[in-house]
Amino acid sequence: MIGAAFRVTLASAQAGDESAFACLFRDVQPALLRYLRVIAPEAEDVAGDTWLQVVAGLAGFRGGEQAFRAWLFTIARHRAADAGRSRARRPAVPLTLAEAAEQPMSPDAADLALEAISARAVVALVAELPADHAEIIMLRVVAGLDAVDVARIVGKSPGAVRVTAHRALRRLAGLVERAGVTQ
Amino acid sequence: MSGPDALHGEMPGFPFPGRPGGEHDEPLLDMILDRRPLPPGTPTEAHDLARLLAALAGPAEPGELAGEAAARTAFSRTSPASVSLAARRSARYRRSARHRSRRSARHGSRRPPRRRSRPARVRVGLATAVAVAVAGLGAGAAYVGVLPGPIQLIAHATVGAPAPHHGVPPSAAAQGAQPDTQHRLRPASTPVPRPARSASTTQAPSAPAALTSPAKTPHDGHRPAVRACIYSPWPAPPRLTLEPGHPIPLPPKLARCPKPVIWKPVIPKSVIPTATATAG
Repeated sequence: MIGAAFRVTLASAQAGDESAFACLFRDVQPALLRYLRVIAPEAEDVAGDTWLQVVAGLAGFRGGEQAFRAWLFTIARHRAADAGRSRARRPAVPLTLAEAAEQPMSPDAADLALEAISARAVVALVAELPADHAEIIMLRVVAGLDAVDVARIVGKSPGAVRVTAHRALRRLAGLVERAGVTQ
Repeated sequence: MSGPDALHGEMPGFPFPGRPGGEHDEPLLDMILDRRPLPPGTPTEAHDLARLLAALAGPAEPGELAGEAAARTAFSRTSPASVSLAARRSARYRRSARHRSRRSARHGSRRPPRRRSRPARVRVGLATAVAVAVAGLGAGAAYVGVLPGPIQLIAHATVGAPAPHHGVPPSAAAQGAQPDTQHRLRPASTPVPRPARSASTTQAPSAPAALTSPAKTPHDGHRPAVRACIYSPWPAPPRLTLEPGHPIPLPPKLARCPKPVIWKPVIPKSVIPTATATAG
């Protein structure tokens, strides 16, 4: 999170300052990519489409950092849905080995124990959760949005988001316990 | 089911208090979600979960910022500082054209979308070019001497073009033809020879000269007549001489009219002095 300097950075980026835009990009891109790796197989492509749309609409955006992140993740969710529809229309496209290696998969306990707790490993672990649970965990934790913003994005009530997040955490704790990651 | 949330054995060994109902651990779960520091005495598993989520929201790892160059390129292409005015104008034109075509398609019109009118700067340029072209052609025509008489006279007075050839077209003047001097514009002060008047007309000495002064023609000596006198630099049409009481010569089609048209001069009574006035 950029914090207090966000408004100045955003205003500079809206005025055409490329370094200010790069600051915004570096702040949000890791969280965006991790979120998209959970909800869409082609995370990098969807992230690129998301940034194109953000660039196009950046001049008209008004709001703070929380609103900016909510706006950006809403765009990302829509682009991921578009990519999912496009993928459904072309079901015969084969995956290359490199792409398959990047897909979130269930890590085994040995792998998780060997490497330090990297973000990618945790993303793979979260991807084990049901889709709605994983998405809400990513939006609450990775994107840093509160329950109200998450509810607006996923189309649920804030209470339902809160309950789902709790269930997801309990499930995640069970997965970690089973994998023995933190032992 | 042991509670509203989970089946038996779904999360074995889950250590948080209130595990069967799931309600008592919610404040702790909220603290983990909000990444707030956990209170002392919290189970180790909760700390492990918090550390896991902290790693999930951690700083960028290698490869995660690989798309920065592409994003910066896209930004530099579409940022307001790099978009030129012409590009914005053309984009606006494309949008409006697209809107017009959609509207015409919605209304079932097959008419192609109208082009937007030219901007004012282009219109001024076009008007200037046309004015310069017309002025150049006019000056050339004036120096050649092919303009109509009055215009040629103006050109003679203003830009020093040759004086007009009165009543003679340039081709006729070049061939040595003599102009018809009878069709020149005669000023009102030019003295006109007055013929001898008949007894009826001598009673009206103050009648207007334009109506009563007959022209002396080579054919008939002193007959009063009204002549059609049209000023023109070109050869005059056949002269029409009308006499009161005589039928007007008509074209062949109109000449078949059963009743001949008789021309009678109408002179306002106010300009004709009475006989008593003159006798007195």
